Amino acid sequence: MGKTRIRIVKRDGCAKRKKVLMYLIAIIVALAIGAILLSSLDVNPFQYYGKMFTMGMVDNHIAYRTVENYIKAFVPLLLTSVALALSFKIRFWNIGGEGQFIIGAIAATTIAFTCGPSLGPGLTIVLMLLAAMLSAGIYGGVIALLKVKFKTNETLLTLMFNYIALYFLLYLGETKAPWNFFLNPESERPIFGSFADIVSFPTIMIGKFSLNLSLLFVIAICVIIYIYLKRTKQGYEISVVGDSVGTAKYAGMKVNKIVLRTIFISAALIGLAGALKVGTSGILSTSITDSVGWTGIIVAWLAKLNTIGIFVVAALICVLDTGSTIASSTYSAIDANFADILQGIILFSVLVADFFTRFKIVISKKEEQ
Amino acid sequence: MTETKPYAIELKGITKTFGSVVANNNINLQLRQGEILALLGENGSGKTTLMNMLSGIYKPDSGSIYVDGQLVSINSPEDAKKLGIGMVHQHFKLIESFTVADNIRIGKENDSNKLKDKLSNILLKKNSYHEIDEICRKFGFEIDSRKKVSNMAVSEKQTLEIIKVLYYGAKVIILDEPTAVLTVQEIAKLFSVLRRMKNEGHSIIIITHKLNEVMEISDRVAILRKGEYIGTVNTAETNEHQLTELMVGRKVDLNIERPEVEKKRPLLEIKDLTIKNDEGATAIDHVNFYIRGGEILGVAGIAGCGQKELCEAIAGLRKVESGMMIHKGDNIVGLTPKAILEKGIAMSFIPEDRLGMGLAPSLSITDNMILKTYADSKGPFVDREKGRQDAQAVIKRLEVVTPSTEIPVRQLSGGNVQKVLLGREIKSGPNVIVTAYPVRGLDINSSYAIYDILNHEKQNGVGILFIGEDLDVMLALCDKIMVLCHGRMMGVVHAHKTTKEQLGLMMTGALDLTEVDGKIAGIAKDTNIKEEEATN
Repeated sequence: MGKTRIRIVKRDGCAKRKKVLMYLIAIIVALAIGAILLSSLDVNPFQYYGKMFTMGMVDNHIAYRTVENYIKAFVPLLLTSVALALSFKIRFWNIGGEGQFIIGAIAATTIAFTCGPSLGPGLTIVLMLLAAMLSAGIYGGVIALLKVKFKTNETLLTLMFNYIALYFLLYLGETKAPWNFFLNPESERPIFGSFADIVSFPTIMIGKFSLNLSLLFVIAICVIIYIYLKRTKQGYEISVVGDSVGTAKYAGMKVNKIVLRTIFISAALIGLAGALKVGTSGILSTSITDSVGWTGIIVAWLAKLNTIGIFVVAALICVLDTGSTIASSTYSAIDANFADILQGIILFSVLVADFFTRFKIVISKKEEQ
Repeated sequence: MTETKPYAIELKGITKTFGSVVANNNINLQLRQGEILALLGENGSGKTTLMNMLSGIYKPDSGSIYVDGQLVSINSPEDAKKLGIGMVHQHFKLIESFTVADNIRIGKENDSNKLKDKLSNILLKKNSYHEIDEICRKFGFEIDSRKKVSNMAVSEKQTLEIIKVLYYGAKVIILDEPTAVLTVQEIAKLFSVLRRMKNEGHSIIIITHKLNEVMEISDRVAILRKGEYIGTVNTAETNEHQLTELMVGRKVDLNIERPEVEKKRPLLEIKDLTIKNDEGATAIDHVNFYIRGGEILGVAGIAGCGQKELCEAIAGLRKVESGMMIHKGDNIVGLTPKAILEKGIAMSFIPEDRLGMGLAPSLSITDNMILKTYADSKGPFVDREKGRQDAQAVIKRLEVVTPSTEIPVRQLSGGNVQKVLLGREIKSGPNVIVTAYPVRGLDINSSYAIYDILNHEKQNGVGILFIGEDLDVMLALCDKIMVLCHGRMMGVVHAHKTTKEQLGLMMTGALDLTEVDGKIAGIAKDTNIKEEEATN
């Protein structure tokens, strides 16, 4: 009499080709599930997916607008993901990207409104970025300080700090008061005011297409972070502390200092992403983050915290995001929420594939002796 | 009509291997009904592995287990529980935030499918307190069943583990080193409980290193050595000397070189050192010793006698409660690990998992080479070229088997990992090397390669503190051997003048050379530091 037993066994390693194949299968499975859903709504899945992956740019005379919007979504996500990976590398579970992003955006807006009119755009932009980095860096750094001093749980604290930041932003957006320079003074209802006339981030016009310089700026930062992690002493310290705290202490590293420094940089970069976002749109909004603090976590882990990987994954996720919103808006039968459902299915399948690159299922017959 | 009752437990030809390591080889063992059997053996002799097979944690590769004369197959801890076998592990398996009663009830088997029974499993009823109190009365335990585990002392936790096992109806009780965490009074109490359990008809296996306890509590003693079953003797017919001899075996000539080196002045002197362990108990208790340049001082002792804490203290990783550590005339107590490194004291500790301290497992060999020196180069960038050259040199010199210097250390085999670690320490040109278990789990050839390296360093005038497991190796390799027993130093002996048996007696606390006045053969002259040498 044998009893079947299913066990999950860790793989020794997984060849690159096999990994890629697994991810591809996962995406195909997810798209097939989506196709069933689409067919049930009388939508041709091939046309739908075509629109989605091209982001509706085929035969579209304002395709450059799509690219502009794409970049607006891509820049904050890329920078946030790279920054979050820095936290995760040192095993600091920073799920406070949302909060740090908002704090950065508020700080940048404050500078724009208060210093913008007197200082002129060039200096104001520099100050905006610095203020955003400093304030968000402190906002995240405080949690790291509490962790190293009192062993508090950073997951809980970063999560709670998200809501403090979010509700502070809501408070600013809903409170009509003489001190509140964030609001539009001409409106009776409390709405955020725009600082686009005072200061706005520079763009380069390529024909009709306006390339926001923040894209080049963020790519440059990614390259710097890549070098920082791979080549510098501080980057080396991050790898060692993230791998084994015991070994780091044994090597004489000041672990607490390294954690504090890394989390400050990580949070500061997320704040910078917030500043870039608000500086591009010229106005605060309660949905300013676009959930990059959450999506960034997925991007960072899917890319295994690898900077180049993050660039690729963030670019693909933005295609999915922008594309599915555009595709769903062209079919009356489909709600915008369908895009979210489909994204969820794809992400879930990819995560399952990721699991199978590391583990395998072994079915064995258990023999009674 | 039954003249002879069947054995409570009988093991026939049990063999268990982990990879290439044979933990148990063809073990035959009998536990009689209502007896206390002591299981004796050195570290790594396979005692715990054997007992884990009885309690369903491991499955034997071959051999059979009989319980009450019946052939059984134990595939899980539940199976063991059903057969009435209960084990009290060395590391307690309790839920800290639960009360005594909850901890006991949570593991209770309930096969009934009735909703009422299921509920009673979840809801703790008042009468379960009485049930537990009843067991305590019967065996003479003193415990408050409403107390939370987190508020309990170590001895109380152990009592709870025993009650748990009894509550589940175990007839055979296995205790893995139960006395290691107890005070003398608590041990006396435990033994009286064990005797009471025996009188109630329970059969008990107790694992211990302490010979006096074996003599006091057991009816018979079974001895394991290096995974082999040596034999079983009646306690009444034996003595501590015979048991030690059975446990450590005859001296094996290993043919390890011990080059003679001109003696130098002490490099590192340890004076009246006291260190606490993670639990706050005294790990090293007023210990004095020193290491000269050009000698290997071995440290022998049962696992947990304070070796690890001693290493960590010397490397600056553990707080020193009192005492001094004088390196070339400077007290290094209170210095940072980095400052101690810079003084030329290198420490390499190979823990059970081999990777825990000293190496970053996900990083490459190159990156591990620069671990202690990365900050020395100028500018913000890491000099990996130097690391790569060092890695290549270590790979070449110590014959590390690896496809490249850029392979994560985690992917190397155990022996190669250890070579990388030791190679880096030697590369840094230290004057004192503290090395713990450098040949742990290595095959013969790799082990000899490591001994050669250590001897080479010794000839260069380096002082080496060698913390080892195998007494034969220490007798052959070390110049002197210091024996620790529960944090206390039992003496320092010259390796070529001592015997394995003497070391065994010292390790188990039966022989203390520090309290003997006058000269006795075998005691190294420098058990106590001479005045002239202390002031360097």
